[in-house]
Amino acid sequence: MIQLENHNVIIQNVLTERFVKPGRVDINFVDYDNVRFHLSTPTSKTQLVLSMGIQCWSDLAKYGVNDMLESEYGEWLIRDGPEKEQEYDVSLLIDLEKIPEDEEARVSLVYHLSMLKPMILSAPFRLAYESHKQLAAAHSPDTPSSEEKQGEMMIINYREEEAFFVQSSWDRITVYISTAFKEETDRVFGRVFLQEFVDARRLSTLQSAPQVLYTTREPPLELRSVPGLKKSDDMGYVTFVLFPRHFANEDTAKASILQILTFRNYLHYHLKASKSYMHSRMRIRVHTFQQILNRAKPEVQADERRTATGRTFRSR
Amino acid sequence: MARLPPLVIDNGTGYTKMGFAGNPEPSFVFPTVIATHGGSSTSGGKSTTSTAHAGSRPTGAPPVASKPGHLASKRGIDDLDFFIGDGAIANAKTYGLHYPIKHGMVENWDHMERFWAQSIFKYLRAEPEDHYVLLTEPPLNPPENRENTAEIMFESFNIQGLYIAVQAVLALAASWTSSKVHERNLTGVVIDSGDGVTHTIPVADGYVIGSSIKHIPIAGRNITEFVLNLLRDRGEQAHIPPEDQLRVAEKIKEDYTYVCQDIVKEIRKYDADPYKYFARYAGEHSVTGRKYDIDIGYERFLAPEIFFNPEIYSSDFLTPLPEVVDNVIQTSPIDVRRGLYKNIVLSGGSTMFKDFGRRLQRDIKHIVDGRIAHSEQASGNHMRSTGVDVNVITHKRQRYAVWYGGSLMASTPEFYNVAHTKQQYEEFGPSLVRRFSVFGSST
Repeated sequence: MIQLENHNVIIQNVLTERFVKPGRVDINFVDYDNVRFHLSTPTSKTQLVLSMGIQCWSDLAKYGVNDMLESEYGEWLIRDGPEKEQEYDVSLLIDLEKIPEDEEARVSLVYHLSMLKPMILSAPFRLAYESHKQLAAAHSPDTPSSEEKQGEMMIINYREEEAFFVQSSWDRITVYISTAFKEETDRVFGRVFLQEFVDARRLSTLQSAPQVLYTTREPPLELRSVPGLKKSDDMGYVTFVLFPRHFANEDTAKASILQILTFRNYLHYHLKASKSYMHSRMRIRVHTFQQILNRAKPEVQADERRTATGRTFRSR
Repeated sequence: MARLPPLVIDNGTGYTKMGFAGNPEPSFVFPTVIATHGGSSTSGGKSTTSTAHAGSRPTGAPPVASKPGHLASKRGIDDLDFFIGDGAIANAKTYGLHYPIKHGMVENWDHMERFWAQSIFKYLRAEPEDHYVLLTEPPLNPPENRENTAEIMFESFNIQGLYIAVQAVLALAASWTSSKVHERNLTGVVIDSGDGVTHTIPVADGYVIGSSIKHIPIAGRNITEFVLNLLRDRGEQAHIPPEDQLRVAEKIKEDYTYVCQDIVKEIRKYDADPYKYFARYAGEHSVTGRKYDIDIGYERFLAPEIFFNPEIYSSDFLTPLPEVVDNVIQTSPIDVRRGLYKNIVLSGGSTMFKDFGRRLQRDIKHIVDGRIAHSEQASGNHMRSTGVDVNVITHKRQRYAVWYGGSLMASTPEFYNVAHTKQQYEEFGPSLVRRFSVFGSST
């Protein structure tokens, strides 16, 4: 496994099961980036309620997540009211009596529902695409570069110390991701890893990938004006520059968003994996050293000699 | 903001049960197996390493991945090319399968570390840095294993806190859901029967009495095999396609069997009116779609009977389960025996047979009463015993009892007090996990 999947496996498993055979369920689970889920059947076996709580809801609400939910999940969405589950930000009601009969339609519906979290997080990106379109339309080649308009800087604080920033302009969309490592070892690994990431972009095979920049400590110039940025050694900033070709059609646009959203998890998974790899190496090294040490042990002479039948000689 | 639920991971020899604390069932149950490139170590443990370095490795050293020399020269992402669980089984043709856990204990830490990494990141989709983790261990797990586990968990995954619980204790905690349990104590005998082996483990106040643990080589796999034998003897097997036989036998075991109270009476009952008691199983060939159906007869009650009369299955092991349980209790310290008899808890899939608990309770009671009567007689009938309570507890969560117990414990606020935190780990080092406070017992 090198890539992480985008959808939530638990939602997928449970829904697939329940679609076939409705039954009571009440489970709590999580997803990356401090997302909490609660899947339950509060009233009857056929009324599944899927609720999701996300830390950066207030940020997302500013950037059009509600419109996105209406368009993508409007059919199931529980609007504000007493039915909406407390302590969660989004609640979907799935009525098992109204799901499609067709097998394929069911599979795609389950997949769609299990993509709830990436969908919600992609709201600001959609907004950025829109604003890019407007800016690009308004742009004329003879505007001096000093007067070029930039879209709003959207800030989503998706974790305690980490955030991502999205800004659009007439020819590009820029995504800044701040990273913070709690662990000294992780920081070292992370720095090397990210540097490697930037270098890998220079390979001739990866020329169509978005441009990647990485800075530690100092935020990129564009972010300097953002208030409340922590300045310390363990902060790093990764910048992705998306050009129109990365969001030209719907599919590539979606794919680019999903890749960026899983970036942090991908990074952390691979840090863990490199640590495991180092640990394997260390175990092997210890093992070879032990072998060398064992060779230094004086050999104990077997004092008994046996015949083929197992009898022993006694010397007098 | 609300604290995220702890992860509860129960790595068994056969299956891994994983999920989040507070849920009634694990979210994932899949085989504890990892498929990597390179030789398979399916037969007899660490065969790949032991062939290369037979005898040269001191016992107790951590087994290393196959072909150590090659790993150092690997470049790129070869070490990430692996599958776990069902994905591993599906890729068994092109990859080598490895079972990192043997007899409940982790044998290959390289594989285990990667297994954990993938199970947390890919399946649970949790950032380990944000969670506490509850892991389980078998009774008599060496402290070195705990230390290794803690090292991996804290240093690779940077988890917030760790608690390693003994499986038997968790099974006892899971029994608190039963209506028969009135007081929540951690004294009792756990009968844990999974796929490979059955353990009877006495626990006193949350501490396992190691010297009295007994293992019985009869468990789920043997019952399936026995069902298959019975089908073969009756000639039913001819109707089942060969590749489905094991699956059909398993299905029969799971869906049709029960424990009878008297085997002779039961056989007579079946002979008198076979149409009433014989069940029919309708199957379909998985490839050709050909329909077949078979009769299910005596195996309905004979299959679980091998726990009570093992001689009908094999001649290697002849002590019936009730006798083993009685033995276990009799070899435990005298002051806890009464408590142990009072609280015999079942756990694992192979204890799910209908009326299994009732039969076990009756048989143990029989043995105990017999002994009491005998000693009363031996004392010349001067002394009268007040009798001993024998209670076998069955409950709804038996199948994943260990996991459920873990989920229950990790969802209490007390869990955060007894779990070791990352700060403590950094202060004391891995030896920290040698000491664990048992929780639940003091309340």
